Amino acid sequence: MTNTSRDSDVPPEPVVEVRHLTHRYPVGNETVGALTGVDLTVNDGEFVAVIGPSGCGKTTLLSIIAGLLSPTGGQVSVFGSDTRAARRSQALGLVTQDPGLLPWLDVASNVLLTLDITGPHDGADEYVTELLERVGISRFARYYPGQLSGGMRQRVALARALVHHPRLLLMDEPFGALDEISREEMRFELLKVWEQEQMSVVFVTHSIREAVLLADRVVVLTGQPGRVKDVIEIDLDRPRTASLEDDPRYQSLLADVRGLLVSETDRSDLVHAIPGTRR
Amino acid sequence: MKRKFQRNALILLTPVLVSTLLLAAWETWVRVRDVKEYLLPAPSAILAALLDDPGRFAEGARLSLQAAIGGLLLASLGAFILAVAMAHSRALERALYPPALALKVTPIVAVAPLFTIWFGFGLAPKVLIAAMITFFPMLVNSVVGLRSVDPRAHDFLRTINASTWQIFWRLRVPSSLPFVFAGLRISVPLSLIGAVVAEFLSGSEGIGQLILIANGDFDTPVLFGAIFVLAAMGILLTASVALVERKVLFWYQSAVSL
Ligand SMILES: Nc1ncnc2c1ncn2[C@@H]1O[C@H](COP(=O)(O)OP(=O)(O)OP(=O)(O)O)[C@@H](O)[C@H]1O
Ligand SMILES: [Mg+2]
Repeated sequence: MTNTSRDSDVPPEPVVEVRHLTHRYPVGNETVGALTGVDLTVNDGEFVAVIGPSGCGKTTLLSIIAGLLSPTGGQVSVFGSDTRAARRSQALGLVTQDPGLLPWLDVASNVLLTLDITGPHDGADEYVTELLERVGISRFARYYPGQLSGGMRQRVALARALVHHPRLLLMDEPFGALDEISREEMRFELLKVWEQEQMSVVFVTHSIREAVLLADRVVVLTGQPGRVKDVIEIDLDRPRTASLEDDPRYQSLLADVRGLLVSETDRSDLVHAIPGTRR
Repeated sequence: MKRKFQRNALILLTPVLVSTLLLAAWETWVRVRDVKEYLLPAPSAILAALLDDPGRFAEGARLSLQAAIGGLLLASLGAFILAVAMAHSRALERALYPPALALKVTPIVAVAPLFTIWFGFGLAPKVLIAAMITFFPMLVNSVVGLRSVDPRAHDFLRTINASTWQIFWRLRVPSSLPFVFAGLRISVPLSLIGAVVAEFLSGSEGIGQLILIANGDFDTPVLFGAIFVLAAMGILLTASVALVERKVLFWYQSAVSL
């Protein structure tokens, strides 16, 4: 399935299994569809990117997997049980675009809060130090979120979501608000942590490059209400580096995803406007 | 550095200067126009009245302040506890809102004599009236505050399976504090009004009683003295709350601009 070394130790049970998932939100006396008949499987240690037009239900999908929202139809199992039980195992991590740090706690305390709730693990202290170092915020450990730039806050959010060694990391456009350089940095940092931690990641993004660069598979959703339009296997070597840009396979995968997305946003004119796009 | 010092000096100096000018104008006006003292005493006469028996004013201020602060604390605590219940459930909020509103719209002047009948002339009825007048703003602000939780932070905590209790203490309570302090800023002057009105109506000791007696005696300088003391008490209380707020909400200013 992927060409990482993990293939051999994929257990029979997937980390996330979504079947015929449907969700409708109540709006006034009516309901509005956010997702219809979505199937999704995330295997142990797999990195799955989800991409789709705005409003197609990506955030809804993550909320359901996280057990924050009960779907109106379909089945979801996480770690082989229902989402509430999965949540109780405290093996989930969440990073959203607007990070939602606690402004009255400094950076270190924001990260430690996770451990306060999940309970400390062996080597927690060293791991906190290592994580802060790794995401480049150790110098800012005593700063408050209000004193940091958006990029810095996002790094704190990442550290906070990783410090308890989650088995499944859910990310909702985590780098969407960052400048291009920080984005690049964060992508490779994330890959390093992921490779070391052997966790699974569901990564929602609007960036085609990001999806293809990071993921083992890219799930493309249709416009609202979202369905799975196609799943593209990204069989590029790991570890992935910036030199991928020169890899024709990478370019062709970009074009594939772009083609699927463009036809979805119903802007066929764009297909010709973007060089390298095939249909 | 020097410029900053100059600016600070200016910030302090201007209000002092303006107040001095106002008092000087007042003094001059009274002297030049020879205004009767029982109508409008000169600042110098008010000062003389204050210095004539400072202990009397100090004791009055102490008693009124006690009632105001006691009432404010009682109301804040009671309102916060009720707010927790109301923020927890919309049904409870709907059920509790009418009596809370009734408490707010009932003029305290009408209720005060009843409190005197029930609780006598001591501290208790004064505290209760100060509490009654400050209860509603504290309640409303606490409810809004407890609901003002950042949904992203809430989602994160739920994802790692934080308990309702943990979310309450770690997220809900701190999030509510800016609103609680806004409520306190509204309630400080109200609590003083409550204490003084209670003293007016029951005649129990305090600045309110001092005003009542001075009024009966046509002792306008003492009356003005009491008013100035009352104003000073208000400033003192407001400044104390602002000081605590600055310490507790150090994170808030920068958080707003997030
Ligand atoms: N609480 C809600 N109440 C009603 N409708 C909602 C609610 N949340 C989302 N929706 C609707 O459901 C659809 C899917 O929303 P969702 O936020 O999951 O989309 P998304 O793919 O994350 O969008 P974006 O890319 O803009 O973040 C949207 O059309 C949205 O209007
Ligand atoms: Mg979204």
